[in-house]
Amino acid sequence: MVAPRRPHRRSPTAWAATVLASLLALLWLTPLLFNVMNAVKSQRDFMQGSALSWPHSFALWSNIAYAWTTAQLGPGFVNSLVYASVGAATAIVVSALAAYALAVLRIRGAFVLFFVIYSGTIFPFQMYLIPLYKAYLSTGLYDTHLGLILFYSAIATPFCLFVLRNHFSTITPEVREAAQLDGCSRPGILWHIYLPLASPSAAVLFLFQFTWIWNDLIFGMTLASSASVRPVMAALATLRGVYGGTDVPAVLVAALLASVPTVVLFFILQRYFIQGLKLRAVG
Amino acid sequence: MKALPYASTADSHIAHLVRRHRQHSSPLAAIGPYLYLAPAMILVAGFLLYPALDTAYLSLTNAHGVSQPKFIGFENYAAFFTDPAVITSLENTLVWVIATLLFPVGLGLAVAVLVNRIPGENLFKSIFYLPYAVSLTSTGVLWSFILSPYGVLNAFLGAVGLGRWAISWLIVPPANTYAMIGATTWQSMGTNMVLFLVGLKSIPAEPVEAARVDGAGNWQTFRSVTWPLLRPFTAIVVAMAVINSFKVFDIIWVMTQGGPYRSSETLAVTMYRDAFVLFQSGYGSAIAMFLSAIVISLTVVLLRTSLREEVA
Repeated sequence: MVAPRRPHRRSPTAWAATVLASLLALLWLTPLLFNVMNAVKSQRDFMQGSALSWPHSFALWSNIAYAWTTAQLGPGFVNSLVYASVGAATAIVVSALAAYALAVLRIRGAFVLFFVIYSGTIFPFQMYLIPLYKAYLSTGLYDTHLGLILFYSAIATPFCLFVLRNHFSTITPEVREAAQLDGCSRPGILWHIYLPLASPSAAVLFLFQFTWIWNDLIFGMTLASSASVRPVMAALATLRGVYGGTDVPAVLVAALLASVPTVVLFFILQRYFIQGLKLRAVG
Repeated sequence: MKALPYASTADSHIAHLVRRHRQHSSPLAAIGPYLYLAPAMILVAGFLLYPALDTAYLSLTNAHGVSQPKFIGFENYAAFFTDPAVITSLENTLVWVIATLLFPVGLGLAVAVLVNRIPGENLFKSIFYLPYAVSLTSTGVLWSFILSPYGVLNAFLGAVGLGRWAISWLIVPPANTYAMIGATTWQSMGTNMVLFLVGLKSIPAEPVEAARVDGAGNWQTFRSVTWPLLRPFTAIVVAMAVINSFKVFDIIWVMTQGGPYRSSETLAVTMYRDAFVLFQSGYGSAIAMFLSAIVISLTVVLLRTSLREEVA
């Protein structure tokens, strides 16, 4: 139940709260502000002035070019676009199929099977790293695009299954039986009836899993090493180690660039972000 | 084949018969439904569950580098007690847990109450929530610059005449851990604020107004009406924050790599260093198991709490 929307408070305490909130908001924006300010400086300008001084140069484009090409953030960025979209999409498709088997076709042992898959959400990531690394080395999946796509699809699957299974089980069985009478096949029913009905959930899931894969550091760092395969956050972390002491503006630009897709998604889909957060909280 | 619970109408009865006919018409039909489950099961079993089980096994061996692992029982676990790296790491992890409750969570609640129903609420909400869209890795890079010896913070301290407070924030323990907690607070306070705001909006107006009519001040109203009604939300936010703070890794790896001299490691970082820098995979697995035991028991507590709240 959502309470009816109440008007804004107008008392003196409300105004005091607004002032305090404004100051705090300013404090929250300050770090970003100074990072942007220093990210546009040329290397020389940066070395000469203090971290607080206003930029005397505008080297944003050359800093971007440097971070993208010389420091090799570019390949990581493109890789992560692929990993995040393909991984999230694969997880949703695979989960939709599984949710159909569990919630609609009601296979024997559905609950146990669900629980086995869902248990993939409870372990800290450290539980997977060593065996994955060893297995990836011995099967040739190490440092390959396919290896990362498979892993990201796998780790996104349990939560997608949880949400889609819940969604599918709220859809009344009469819908399916009517379709069956009309001669619709089993895959047809999933494709034409269940998936469209679950598309709002699927959209939020895609957004959330995309963001998660995009932001992943630890698996990218463990399962890939070369600049042409590793994802964006692993590239950024390396960059900080290699260039962090020498070309600060370029590293700051890289950190800001690496956040562009998720920040853009955030502004477009703010509402869904909050919805996704709520999903997480109850999941 | 289960009986249909709603088999009263002729239509659904026919549907039932049609389905039965289909399911028994070919041998493939019996395993058909399982094929839908297969891709998910293969992915999860192969990439998550098998590795987790293997880690459990490795934790009982002396696996390191390339040599053949030997079974050594619980020796790795026993070694925790005398390993200064693990002891420091456990202490730091507890500092992270407590500080996470004070700052991202406590401040999140305070800011939620502050901005609830004031003019410009949505703008404030977006500003505080925005850093959450910045990844922890980027946050780590950006804050490393702010906290570096010639970074923004020290320049600011110098400018306002507090230059003697300026230190190498990421080098000196325990300041390095506190500095990283600060960066994390900046990144994650907004998510807690958003969840608390959802909670505040769900509180009905009547009890709050009744308390005000009875002459209760702001603080009294909050303490005796809002806070108890917010409890289910608080329970979830606190549990999520505690579980996440046990798992903190990215920001530390980027900002200090757990150093200098392993002074700012948490359990997740210690595991990574032992396994992938020092190549002690058996020992690293044991740390992973220890961390999992903590996280999983907390998750069980969370699930039980939230289930109980739902029933109540």
